[in-house]
Amino acid sequence: MSGTHPFRDRTAIAGIGRTDYSKNSGVSTLTLALRAIRAALDDAGLATSDVDGVACHRVGDSVQATIVAQSLGIKDIRFHLDLFGGGSQSAWTVGLAAQAVAAGVADCIVCWRSINARSGFRMGGTGRAAPDSIEFQYQSPYWFATPPQQFAMYGRAYMDKYGVTSEDLGRVAISQREFATLNPRAMMQAPLSMDDYLESRMIVEPFRLFDCCLETDAAVAVVITSTERARTLRQRPVLVSSAACGGGHTLYSNGRDDLSTSGAAQLAPRLFDAAEMSPSDIDVAELYDAFTPLVLLQLEDYGFAAKGEGAALVAAGSTSLGGSLPVNTHGGHLSEGYVHGLNHLAEAVDQLRGDAGPRQTVGAEVALVTGQPGYVAGTSSALILRADK
Amino acid sequence: MNIKRPIPITDLDSVDWWSAVSRHEFVCARCSDCNVWRWPARAICGACGSMTWEWQELTGNGTIASWIVNRHGFGGAFPLPSTVVLVRLAEQDDLLLPGGWAGSADGVDLSVGLSVVVGFEDIESEGGDSDQAVLSWGPRHD
Repeated sequence: MSGTHPFRDRTAIAGIGRTDYSKNSGVSTLTLALRAIRAALDDAGLATSDVDGVACHRVGDSVQATIVAQSLGIKDIRFHLDLFGGGSQSAWTVGLAAQAVAAGVADCIVCWRSINARSGFRMGGTGRAAPDSIEFQYQSPYWFATPPQQFAMYGRAYMDKYGVTSEDLGRVAISQREFATLNPRAMMQAPLSMDDYLESRMIVEPFRLFDCCLETDAAVAVVITSTERARTLRQRPVLVSSAACGGGHTLYSNGRDDLSTSGAAQLAPRLFDAAEMSPSDIDVAELYDAFTPLVLLQLEDYGFAAKGEGAALVAAGSTSLGGSLPVNTHGGHLSEGYVHGLNHLAEAVDQLRGDAGPRQTVGAEVALVTGQPGYVAGTSSALILRADK
Repeated sequence: MNIKRPIPITDLDSVDWWSAVSRHEFVCARCSDCNVWRWPARAICGACGSMTWEWQELTGNGTIASWIVNRHGFGGAFPLPSTVVLVRLAEQDDLLLPGGWAGSADGVDLSVGLSVVVGFEDIESEGGDSDQAVLSWGPRHD
């Protein structure tokens, strides 16, 4: 059709791989990455010798992409990406790899995130070295250092503006835990009640324990290749319909006066336009959920609800199992585990292949997968994926 | 127990601002061409692209944009509870600065939009030789 975006559906996810999720992997981030990549190649029916590109994101907490490439035996790396950043970059790592395949730069790129986030470098720990950010100096003297604190600062501004309550946040955690009880991989499988949520200890007001994600030791990898080639491989291809990044505000950057919206609102129109879709086309959404308010915020900023109405969508059951827009069907970072966005991508692939078992969204053909919506990081990213016809 | 605040690790763009804070002076970079304030200091104006700017004194007035109350130590040496505020400066809506709160440690006296005024807290270092100060906001009574 005329006007079709040149990138749309040109590339596909041909395989996914995950390591075990644990609190102590006992192995290096290199070994975790190689295990996940090996599993993803096996899933696709590919050999290590098929790989000609590597891509990851990290924040000084994981092995370099080039060492993974060398370990895989790649003699001539045609594409290499080692993106600095956390969850805000998760969809962009994959998006850039897909663009490189579409442009003919490489043929088969493995993308991964590998972290010993519990036993090694804890995002929530202040004992670690200061992050590589020239803005950190403005907050560290005030004992204001970790992601839970940064997101609590934004979270309160969002809650205050729209009258979002603790119970509203609790319903996000509970809905995702319900999915996790159907997911044998999930780190948290015990049911969660509103009382459990409200009685959980305060970490940093307004966040309780169950508003926060689970630091996890794990790696997740995906294989990106051309749609044409993916159709010759083992699995039903999951096509990359669009990829976008957007936003532009760091924690303190000028030009932003409203803390209750995010970079997702800026990239969403371009993301949907490039896929030639609208929010109503999305069957299942895996939304980056380092902390509960991010789910509500993204329901609004991606256009599923008006500003301030995300909590009502969750309260109505729309985002739960059997709802009109199931969200974080694996349990998300809050209950499955925290692999910096890549586990959301792997879950979306399972959903679009129809491989999600008891948590399957019936008839799921199109998925939205998002990165951290741009709070703190200065950028966000997202993908729209669809099952091959 | 008197827990020492971490001393900020300054850089070549920020050292003059921190030096001013340590003299208990509250300044901000301002574009000489379009008069837009910017913080932290950067070599270029994000509004008009000008490379010409100067430090100018701020009123020290602002309002509370948000705040957090630390209830968990995150593996570090935090006094608990402790409150961190994010202040919107009176000069411009997009100037948002974090700082300490000179009021209640558990933040019960805070609300979004509350009028506040800047203050300064001299940091004690482990060796006792610090001359660094940091921001400490308090309620403003007009």
